[in-house]
Amino acid sequence: MAIKLLDVENLTMKFEGLVAIDNLSFSANKDQITSIIGPNGAGKTTVFNCLTGFYKATAGSMFLNKENEKLNLRKFSDYRVAQRAGVARTFQNIRLFPQMSVLENMMVAQHNKLMDASGFTLLGLFNSPSFVKKEKEAVEISKYWLDIIGLTHRADDDAGDLPYGDQRKLEIVRAMCINPNLLCLDEPAAGLNAKESAELNKLLLFIKNKKKTGILLIEHDMSVVMEISDHVVVLNYGKKIFEGTSQETKKSPEVIEAYLGTDE
Amino acid sequence: MEKNFLQSSIKDSLFTGLIALALFGPIIGLRTVAQNEILVVQPKWLLVIFIVAICAVGRFLINLYTFNRDQKAGHQSSIGKSIGNFLDTKGTQIAISAIIFSIIFPFLPFTDRYLMDIGIMMLTYIMLGWGLNIVIGLAGLLDLGYVAFYAVGAYSYALFAIHFGWSFWICLPIAGIFAAMFGVLLGFPVLRLRGDYLAIVTLAFGEMIRILLLNWYELTKGPDGLTGIPRPSFFGLPFKSFPEEGEQTFHTFFGLEYSPMQRIIFLYYLILVLALITNLFTIKIRRLPIGRAWEALREDEIACKSLGVNPRNTKLTAFAIGAMFGGFAGSFFATRQAFISPESFTFIESAIIVAIVVLGGMGSQTGVVLSTIFLIGLIEVFRDFESYRMIAFGGAMVLIMIFRPRGILATRKPTITLEKKKG
Repeated sequence: MAIKLLDVENLTMKFEGLVAIDNLSFSANKDQITSIIGPNGAGKTTVFNCLTGFYKATAGSMFLNKENEKLNLRKFSDYRVAQRAGVARTFQNIRLFPQMSVLENMMVAQHNKLMDASGFTLLGLFNSPSFVKKEKEAVEISKYWLDIIGLTHRADDDAGDLPYGDQRKLEIVRAMCINPNLLCLDEPAAGLNAKESAELNKLLLFIKNKKKTGILLIEHDMSVVMEISDHVVVLNYGKKIFEGTSQETKKSPEVIEAYLGTDE
Repeated sequence: MEKNFLQSSIKDSLFTGLIALALFGPIIGLRTVAQNEILVVQPKWLLVIFIVAICAVGRFLINLYTFNRDQKAGHQSSIGKSIGNFLDTKGTQIAISAIIFSIIFPFLPFTDRYLMDIGIMMLTYIMLGWGLNIVIGLAGLLDLGYVAFYAVGAYSYALFAIHFGWSFWICLPIAGIFAAMFGVLLGFPVLRLRGDYLAIVTLAFGEMIRILLLNWYELTKGPDGLTGIPRPSFFGLPFKSFPEEGEQTFHTFFGLEYSPMQRIIFLYYLILVLALITNLFTIKIRRLPIGRAWEALREDEIACKSLGVNPRNTKLTAFAIGAMFGGFAGSFFATRQAFISPESFTFIESAIIVAIVVLGGMGSQTGVVLSTIFLIGLIEVFRDFESYRMIAFGGAMVLIMIFRPRGILATRKPTITLEKKKG
């Protein structure tokens, strides 16, 4: 059976009286893709910001199972969520380092590992063999992921010069470079054409099946959501209105009314 | 089309002339002179007309030759582009020939005391520019108070050397450490600030240090400054014309005639070595994880956090290391002048160093050298026309901004490449 990876209980986020997330509970499993869908302003991105430490949740708990260890994500603030708990994320409006090369983007994602290897820069200054070895490994990991998304030939170009679809994919594999337990993707298919979203689906399934990384997905593109999600959580006005498999979601009258709409 | 363009250019240059008239009319045109103990306004219209004409004609020429106003903003002029391409492709060769030139410079036939002094001054600014380049160019933190670290380095060197009598080579690292500590001290309160806000706070920090030096009379002697700072010696051999009984000096040890130039040449090589160390260190650290994290932080702080990069440590190390090199340059300044006072550490110094970094092309090491030669050289050329020096300085900045809007050397080379590993 599926192993529970993330457990969100009674999560509440208030912005001075405005309740963005209201008592939300859901869970995500390992080796599964969990989608969060809902109309604009339903609080989807706020959930991500709470999970990844960009916001401090008002109430509730978020537990992550990391190798038999139960971590409360609320205890970590901003960068520590990625560093200690291994929760990686991408952003709605792509956040690459545009003036740095594709390979450099991938290397920055492996910063903590390399920083330790460089002995907080001292060993690195003198090219210690252990650091050089670690750096080579990091380049190999970067190359592995770039091969998968077919961008190896552009590794030395500026990330900002890539076409939009490639930037999206690069942001996802860059997040994978921190070797995450949970990957949170905020509208990865936004602005992609049909062919590109098909490629995206393939990439996400690869990450799920081969890398055994749990994926949390915010998406408006139903072709992506319905095709690849194992589990769907529907939000409206900060509340969960439905939770189930994609087939169940499609048929749910509440979801159709609030979000999907009818065919006529 | 052609006629339209000419027409709009003429219109534009007339408009520029009008603005120039409004600005320079009162500033330059009206001058108060004391005549028989009363102030009289003396108009200088000829000068104003001359300056306005220069502005209008200059604008017209720029319109004709560089701006094509129909094209998009950010377009670079063809002259600027060809200069830029040359500099971008020949960067390494230029750097190597510049190093060779600076090594043989003291022994060239035309080199005299005056040129040596300019050389030393330029190298000091180059070193400061390279130090600040870490903070501004790499980490993207606009620091307008860099002169504070220069001052901290100079004063801590001077105080340790005067009170404890320690030698230059012991005081130098101490001054660097002190400056780095002040860098961290500045870094902490400004961790959350970016851009304009950061610039204002760092500017204030620079002024705070200067005012502190001015008022802490017991320690710094305030406006009187510190005198009698020991001169550096050549590994224990002092530069003295009349050695005391049994004392070895530089010229007696090497069996040379005494000449005051010996010390100047030594100082020149000292700052050359210090500057080159700064440069090598920066080039190396850019390729290390910390350097890459600095640049990533400049590009996008939120993305950095999402990848687990600690923004606090990353920023603080940038401030500390940048400040450390400022401190080294400060100790050199103190030992060269043998006298320091808060007057040497005013805001204009910070502004010049920032201008050097920004005009050189942020993050470019060679760019810093080129813009220093251009800016400081120009100030020196105009030394005889005292009051026009700053106009020349401003003019130089305007020219660079017109021809190379992103700095003299704007291209950035990746810190790590895949291609090289293959071949």
